Amino acid sequence: MVTRRTLIKSLGAVSVAAPMFSMPSIARGQSAGRVVVVGGGFGGATAAKYLKRQNPALDVTLVEASGRFYTCPFSNLYLGGLRDFESIGHSYDELTDVYGVNLVTDWAEGVDGDAHTVTLASGEVLDYDKLLLSPGVDMRWGAIEGYDESAAQLAPHAWKAGEQTQILKAQLESMDDGGLFILSSPENPFRCPPGPYERVSMIANYFTNNKPNSKILVLDSKDAFSKQGLFEAGWRELYGDMIEWVSLSNDGRVVRVDAENLEVETEFGEVHKADVLNIVPPQKAGAIADAAGVTNEGGWVPIVPETFESQQVPDIYVVGDATVAAPMPKSGFCANSQGKVAAAAIVASLAGQEPPAPSWVNTCYSVLAPDYGISVAGVYHVADGQIAEVADSGGVSPADADSDFRRREAEYAVGWYDAIARDTWGTGA
Amino acid sequence: MVPTYIREKEDDMPKAPTASAVTLSRRTVIALTANAATLALTPLGALAQGGGAWSRVDEALAIVGDADPIAEGVVLDLPAVSEDGSTVPLGVSVDRPMQQGEFVKAIHIIAPGNPYPLIATFNFTELSGRPEVETRVRLNESQTVIALVELSSGAMLVGERDVRVTVSGCLARADTYDTANLFTTRVRVPESLAAGESGEVLTMINHPQESGLRESMDGGLVPKRLIERMDVTLDGEPVFSADLHRSVSSNPYIKFFMTPQSGGTLDFTWTEDTGETAHESAELAV
Repeated sequence: MVTRRTLIKSLGAVSVAAPMFSMPSIARGQSAGRVVVVGGGFGGATAAKYLKRQNPALDVTLVEASGRFYTCPFSNLYLGGLRDFESIGHSYDELTDVYGVNLVTDWAEGVDGDAHTVTLASGEVLDYDKLLLSPGVDMRWGAIEGYDESAAQLAPHAWKAGEQTQILKAQLESMDDGGLFILSSPENPFRCPPGPYERVSMIANYFTNNKPNSKILVLDSKDAFSKQGLFEAGWRELYGDMIEWVSLSNDGRVVRVDAENLEVETEFGEVHKADVLNIVPPQKAGAIADAAGVTNEGGWVPIVPETFESQQVPDIYVVGDATVAAPMPKSGFCANSQGKVAAAAIVASLAGQEPPAPSWVNTCYSVLAPDYGISVAGVYHVADGQIAEVADSGGVSPADADSDFRRREAEYAVGWYDAIARDTWGTGA
Repeated sequence: MVPTYIREKEDDMPKAPTASAVTLSRRTVIALTANAATLALTPLGALAQGGGAWSRVDEALAIVGDADPIAEGVVLDLPAVSEDGSTVPLGVSVDRPMQQGEFVKAIHIIAPGNPYPLIATFNFTELSGRPEVETRVRLNESQTVIALVELSSGAMLVGERDVRVTVSGCLARADTYDTANLFTTRVRVPESLAAGESGEVLTMINHPQESGLRESMDGGLVPKRLIERMDVTLDGEPVFSADLHRSVSSNPYIKFFMTPQSGGTLDFTWTEDTGETAHESAELAV
């Protein structure tokens, strides 16, 4: 267990890392190295910014397909009616205008690790000395029978924020009072471990205010989930019996989806019919990681803990949800933290120096109601060649906290989002 | 005033208010492990040192006897990194041409880094056909998991696989077991099969599978309480059975295959170590 003060001290150790590695800029026109960053989410945008902060002489190019990035964190608050959609969107203006990052709005389709090139959908080829991939996750289409890209138009996953989130929101709004919302939650590992449970909390908040006779069913491929005790206590306190959770051992695992009829079938043959159906399917590293040859047989990217360089292809660094970084969870905060570590390692390597000793931090806030938040936090380091949680560095919110404490954590959640958006994209909430 | 922000370990996150005291201390774990006296013999990556991890594990040697296991044809499917050691999906299949009349008689699963290494033995017959089984197991720590395959000819195959466990699930999980559905059984059998066609059978029973190693609220150990056997018959003929030990996850789940020549009634029996049994049956059309 730690006091808040200890936690802040540990956090401080991370944030001072950046200035330590800034170095005098080299004369204009002479690049200190070409770095291509693919993916402008929490990991990639942070890395691009911190590369330029630490060595402005670097030639840094960010390849990102969407002109504006919508975050999974706080997309549940949009579903719950607490925020508007544009409040979770972020532009790349700070990266280009303040830090001098070259922004290329395109898809990266291929990587040649030997030739050190990235090929874009437009056909353009970028050369790199160091490549940093922050590709996020892709859905494993077909891992659940009947669930493919077209099924996701009818039964959205909404596990990448954007159009999918808006489809789900529109379905919730057109649902009649008294309807049934079903969410299917995948086995580990997947993006944002507490996410499915925050989502049903937020939808319960929306139902309570707008459609109070509606019900929520969570069909889970797991027997336990992140912050479970806190979520279940919060659900009872806030929403009575509106939310029902069916564990793996009570036949919660969905094996077949009929998106046309909004039906799901579980492992032992029970069929449930929804009015709104949200399938969070099994996931894998984003496609460019496969193309670059950095994924393992499980579909994720093994990395060298100290630098987040690929274990399989030199000079390719990978951060965020795509990586095997357990016990760090797949969260936006982790991706941001990993982006800084990888940026520092790249800057050091290009300068012929050893990488600094890394430290990572994570907090996942979950908002159960406008005035009810909970969190899990941890600080991580390298021990015996593996990423490990620093003993007693974090933990979860107390089980017996009063309503004032829960209200403050909901406020801290908003503060966290504002701070990380500023750190990553230079945009406030 | 900012209150002191006392946090609890996520692993200990209680369903009952006082459960944070339930975590088994590291010392207790070591003491229990030492009783089994096998841990130090089998470091992770033992395979790389030659000879196979099995050759340094008493429980494996006891099964191997005079046989000379061949490291061939055994596919042991486990996640390379597991984030929840209390429920690790495990699959074993045997991919090897069999001699005339030869079949897989048994598959033994051994986790040398667990306090009690033998996890389960799955027994096949000619009716079970395809030598493949899936279950969910507890892994106490990162280790090399071993599958020993006994053939009807007496020959033996071995497969091994390294698994990294980032959160140990065997002992540290403090959640109480919800007994509301105790002994609820579920099975799923193919709707119909052609004669000689192989079909998948799923089974699960709600049961805590108490290892006897978990600390209770009062600091003692929760008594051992295990489903130790599952038997499956088709019109009385044995099809498949399983001997289950302490490291099978709670709510024992088993998936296997059968290749019947004719239809009939499938009977499933689970036996607890107290002698208590649970039954389920299903009609199979062939």
